[in-house]
Amino acid sequence: MSASIPTVLDADALARLRDLDPNDKTHLVERVLKAFESSSGRLAVQFKDSRARGDLQGIRHVVHTLKSSSASIGALALARICAEIETSIRAEPSADVAGALDAMDHELTAVLQAVTRMLSSPGTST
Amino acid sequence: MIMRAEPSADDLPDRPKVLLVDDDEVNLLLTSVALQDQGFAVTEASGGEAAIRILADWLPDIVVLDAVMPGLDGFETCRELRVLPGFESLPVLMLTGLDDDASITRAYEAGATDFFVKSTQWRLLAGRLRYLLRASRTRVELERSKSRLARAQDLARMGSFDWRRGQDGPVFSIEGLRVFGFGPGDQPAFRGLLRMVPEEERKAFLELTHSAMDRSTVLATDIHARLVDGRQRIVHIEAEPEFNEHGNLIGYTGIVQDVTDRRLAEDRIRHLANFDTLTGLPNRRQLIWRAERALEHGRRLGHEVALLLIDLDRFKIINDTLGHGAGDELLMEVSRRLRSCVRHSDQVLESSLESVGVRSHRTLEAVGRLGGDEFVALLPEVTDDDDAERVATRILEVMRKPIMIGLQECFVTASVGIAIFPRDGTTVADLLRNSDIAMYSVKSAGRNSSSLYRPNLAGKGREKLELESALHKAIERNELVLHYQPKIDVRGAKMVGAEALMRWRRHGVLVPPGDFIPLAEETGLIIPLSEWAIREAARQARIWQDNFGFADSIAVNLPSRLFERTDLVEYIHNAVTTYGVPHHAIELEITETGLMKDLQNVIPSLHRLNEIGVEISIDDFGTGYSSLAYLTTLPISELKIDRSFVRDLGMTPQSSAVVTAIIALARSLGLRVIAEGVENLRQMEVLHRLGCGIMQGFLFSKAQPPEDIELWLQQTVLPKKAPWIGQALSSDVAEPSRARESRPKPPIGKLPLA
Repeated sequence: MSASIPTVLDADALARLRDLDPNDKTHLVERVLKAFESSSGRLAVQFKDSRARGDLQGIRHVVHTLKSSSASIGALALARICAEIETSIRAEPSADVAGALDAMDHELTAVLQAVTRMLSSPGTST
Repeated sequence: MIMRAEPSADDLPDRPKVLLVDDDEVNLLLTSVALQDQGFAVTEASGGEAAIRILADWLPDIVVLDAVMPGLDGFETCRELRVLPGFESLPVLMLTGLDDDASITRAYEAGATDFFVKSTQWRLLAGRLRYLLRASRTRVELERSKSRLARAQDLARMGSFDWRRGQDGPVFSIEGLRVFGFGPGDQPAFRGLLRMVPEEERKAFLELTHSAMDRSTVLATDIHARLVDGRQRIVHIEAEPEFNEHGNLIGYTGIVQDVTDRRLAEDRIRHLANFDTLTGLPNRRQLIWRAERALEHGRRLGHEVALLLIDLDRFKIINDTLGHGAGDELLMEVSRRLRSCVRHSDQVLESSLESVGVRSHRTLEAVGRLGGDEFVALLPEVTDDDDAERVATRILEVMRKPIMIGLQECFVTASVGIAIFPRDGTTVADLLRNSDIAMYSVKSAGRNSSSLYRPNLAGKGREKLELESALHKAIERNELVLHYQPKIDVRGAKMVGAEALMRWRRHGVLVPPGDFIPLAEETGLIIPLSEWAIREAARQARIWQDNFGFADSIAVNLPSRLFERTDLVEYIHNAVTTYGVPHHAIELEITETGLMKDLQNVIPSLHRLNEIGVEISIDDFGTGYSSLAYLTTLPISELKIDRSFVRDLGMTPQSSAVVTAIIALARSLGLRVIAEGVENLRQMEVLHRLGCGIMQGFLFSKAQPPEDIELWLQQTVLPKKAPWIGQALSSDVAEPSRARESRPKPPIGKLPLA
């Protein structure tokens, strides 16, 4: 799957973020992306850990949080996958979500790469 | 920034304070930034525990909680903060996922005010927060206003109720229950409520209620209610009908109010406005109102109405001598007695009497106080004059018993004037005026009686009033004069003194003493008049002393009342000193009746006067009842034989017997004796033969102005030109002794002398 910025991070969502800080006075986009980077990094560790232990509730919490924060920065695919996993687990606590988890893991990596790229290339946020 | 103590429901704080709780850093940051952008002051918390810590000492305007969080989640956090004091009604917004119906239900269960589906549409969240803040403010205002209303209703002892057709009783608010003495939760039924109303009122109240319901009209009435705890209250009920969409009555909604205090105050005000505070009797206003109603009835039913004006005799004297406190006590006792003379009704009547029946005017009957010592008895129906006069007689009778004021016995009489409707007047004003005229006629005829009004009395009352006010001014206008009647020693054919007699020169005419002295006594003016007379007599004594060496006494008549004044001695002393004459230049005459009536009060004065040399003469002696026991010890100098005995001398043997007795008495007591009213030589001869050598009367001289007395002395007495002079010298009778020191003790006892 290609990981170009426009496909990984939704342009409209990013524009909405920029609207909150039109002249980039508070470097909001940068701060949000950094916040995402650090929290999703932490969540990724939790995710791996929970998956290794087969802890579905731990996984559910990770995808719940990741769902809304990824939606906020425009990582819509990731948000959708997280929502699916969360719904599945809630509906059936012993559901087999292995495939979805792989997809999520993959998408998260792509999003983080895109975020890192954006943070390292000043001007992209404006 | 404008600070407001209490923003209204529409006005939110300039920057509402938000506590934002979310474990997701990204969301927390974005939501926070978005809300700040929309004018909120945001405080962030990354979890439920952190939020509770912050809320321990800080109160935001609103809390936004993420529902799903590790550790203390949104639901638990909401539950915990709701139990914190002051957070009961704080708006709390729960953030949930779009597809999370279960969380929405849980949010409400946990006490959240509302929920909001997480979205990236930040402005929507800000709008929702504003709405919640407004709603919360409105709710707080409503709560506050409700509690204010409850407090106001409580203070006004007022409450509300609702009743729907078919319900067994009205549903009261807590305040409404309290009005009837019930607690919250009580559910009084109609029957129980009705039992609180006194039986005699119950039927009328039920009729009123039913008639209001039948006609679907407003119900407004006051009822008496005996509460469960026994208290008697007056409750005002006011209820409006309620209708359904078809216009049918479905029930009533209204208020109940305890108006007992107000009603009592109103009753008290009405009572004060209508009744005399001292005696409790109807006052002038109430009396006139009653009299007007009585006349209306009399007119319609064709019967007579009587108005009795009752005025106490000499009340002013009691007030002046015993003080106003005693006067008030006396008025109260008099009121009690007067009430017993009629079928007195205390009812305050302001509304129409129609409902009470044809004979209802009977309840108008009363005794009232017009003011001062003036009372009125209103008899709303009398059959004839006798009917009214019987009540007047009863009034005079009940006054007869002495009234005890402190330790003093007071005798009070009254003068009653009667006017009958329609004969003596057709208006209350006419009847009052004419009863007043009738009352005055009683006064001038000697008081202590009653009289019906007669047209020929009119005018006399007014004349008298004018006379009274003129007499007040007579002293300052120098209208009073003294005339003098010489006292003659017939043996020596010389003047041995004079009696001063007051005259009133009014509009150039001399008013006879009989026309103004009784009035002066009645009004109390006799006191200043007498004081003036003492000074004037002293002045005249000085003039005569200078003109012809007058060294005898001028006798001034004083009412016994004046002797009770402790300053009388001082007053006489000042008068004689002013004109440089000795104390004995003034002699005082007191009537036998006056002396005996007030003996105890008069004696101290007599002693002091005697000590300074002022002699006392007993006037009209023989007409009263003198106690001989006192007569022997009194410091008096002279007895004056009453003119009635002198008049009959030589005509009836009895009169000469009385005169003989008086002369013998005087002689044995060592007193001088003088005869007054001597008009002819025969009387003079008899008196002289019986042993009385000092006389006064027309035979010698009438009372004359002082200048005329001087002239009379020069032209008649000194040249010995009068017919009585030769006569007197020819007889030879022993002069009465004046050896007081050696007078024998007479028997002790009471001896009628006339």
